Amino acid sequence: MFEAPSTAAAIVAGRLSLSEVFTGLSDEDLIAIAGFSREVSYPESEFLLREGQPAEALFVVERGKLALEKKVQPGRHTTPRSATIGYVGPRHVAGFSTLTPPYIYSTSAVCLEPTRVITVDGPGLRAYLQAHPAAGLIVMNSLAALVADRYRQSTNTLTYFLSIVSHELRSPLAAIENYLQTMHGGFAGELNSKQARMIQRCLLRVSDLRVLIGDVVDLARMRPEQIQADFEWFDPSDVGTESIEDVRLAAADKEVQIKVEPPVRFEPIVGARRRMRQVFTNLLNNAIKFSPIGGTVTFRARYEPDQVVFDVEDEGPGIPPDEIPHIFEDFYRASNVGETTGLGLGLSIAKKIVDSHDGQVIVTNLSDWQGRSGTRFTVCIPRNLKTPEMLRREWVTEAAN
Amino acid sequence: MEKQSYILIVDDDPDIREGILTILESQPYRLAAACDGKQCLEMLAKETPDLVTLDLLMPRMDGWGVIREMRSTPKYSQIPIMVLTTVIEDASRRRYELETGLAMDVQDYVQKPAKPADLLKRVERLLSVYV
Repeated sequence: MFEAPSTAAAIVAGRLSLSEVFTGLSDEDLIAIAGFSREVSYPESEFLLREGQPAEALFVVERGKLALEKKVQPGRHTTPRSATIGYVGPRHVAGFSTLTPPYIYSTSAVCLEPTRVITVDGPGLRAYLQAHPAAGLIVMNSLAALVADRYRQSTNTLTYFLSIVSHELRSPLAAIENYLQTMHGGFAGELNSKQARMIQRCLLRVSDLRVLIGDVVDLARMRPEQIQADFEWFDPSDVGTESIEDVRLAAADKEVQIKVEPPVRFEPIVGARRRMRQVFTNLLNNAIKFSPIGGTVTFRARYEPDQVVFDVEDEGPGIPPDEIPHIFEDFYRASNVGETTGLGLGLSIAKKIVDSHDGQVIVTNLSDWQGRSGTRFTVCIPRNLKTPEMLRREWVTEAAN
Repeated sequence: MEKQSYILIVDDDPDIREGILTILESQPYRLAAACDGKQCLEMLAKETPDLVTLDLLMPRMDGWGVIREMRSTPKYSQIPIMVLTTVIEDASRRRYELETGLAMDVQDYVQKPAKPADLLKRVERLLSVYV
């Protein structure tokens, strides 16, 4: 006797058809998928899936609400925190990493209230869609629309947020810093030594804050193509001088000397001038931050046939060797940073800029037989970079031939 | 006797205006301030300054609008402009070019906050070059 699909399966199939990922599938497909799905109830605070775990299942919410969370862990020795990046309500889906390689959950999902879901077996779903291309196409189309929408939402929010943050934070900070500098310069009357010292400390902290905000906004916006679009011929010695001026106050505050070892002769190179200044300023700031009081930071440049090589060396404690591979990660701060301030963005920004220049950043711990320590950051910038104008001329010549 | 230079300071932030005024007061300049682009134009009409320090992000009429007005009015087209802003220069120039189709014709571009000594030096330079 022909056995009709069980009522339970039919009900599940019906519910699946209403979800954002399975709409448009045929009844047979839905019944088949319902065959490797089951309804499960979870209490509040239960985790359905964990970030980084193999994606074994897709979850269609019937009732309740999930929060999607990503781990945020600045540095390896700070407490990890979770950031909520979105919510999943009825008819919506969590865990669609089940359908996209490398099949690893990109977020965690936790129940904000008692939640009832349809759990669809991941490997089963993948196998079914592969065997039924028409169904596969429908599901993948839905998935593509979903992902595109979530991406658009997050970039819209980011862009909006950045443009607000950019002005609303920078503006008052500029006013504060301006007043402090005016007072510090003696333009508002003579200061006693204590006042002068306190104002100088304020200037340093405010300047750090200004750089921090600039960095955060910058990092979110930085794309290699944008940096490359700004490529022009510039003299590295000008940029180096500006960077040294940028960190003069921080160096003076710790009585750190900056020793400059220039090349025999400076020649212009192609690169993004403002961005390279950021690289040197960030490396110098880092070196000063980790220098002992009264220490020396060395800033060196030399020209090789194919590249220009810059070194920034400090006499600080060095970087623990097992942490060296991680120091360029966003927000990473090594375990021995101690009391120093900073968000951990300077190096990650510097690396992104150097990468856009097709260059390299190399880190070396320095130690000698006298027990002195330190770190050297080496930046190599190739000398064959092209400005947009040079590229344009190349294309025009190529097209003509 | 040499005529005193008259400088117009344009910024919507009263603290920035006071900060810049305090710095420039240390020199024998005649100073006045406007709180946005519209007021700036009103004051230009009353008396032509020797230099304008110009913020960009302002209500009613922004700095870009002021530059466009001044450069298209013969009476004001030769007045040197020092832009004093938090906006980064290349982004700023790009925006002006997109809005007007012309290059941004300003004589100096300074990132806020400007160091007092630096500001004084630049003002001095602009006043002596663009007499």
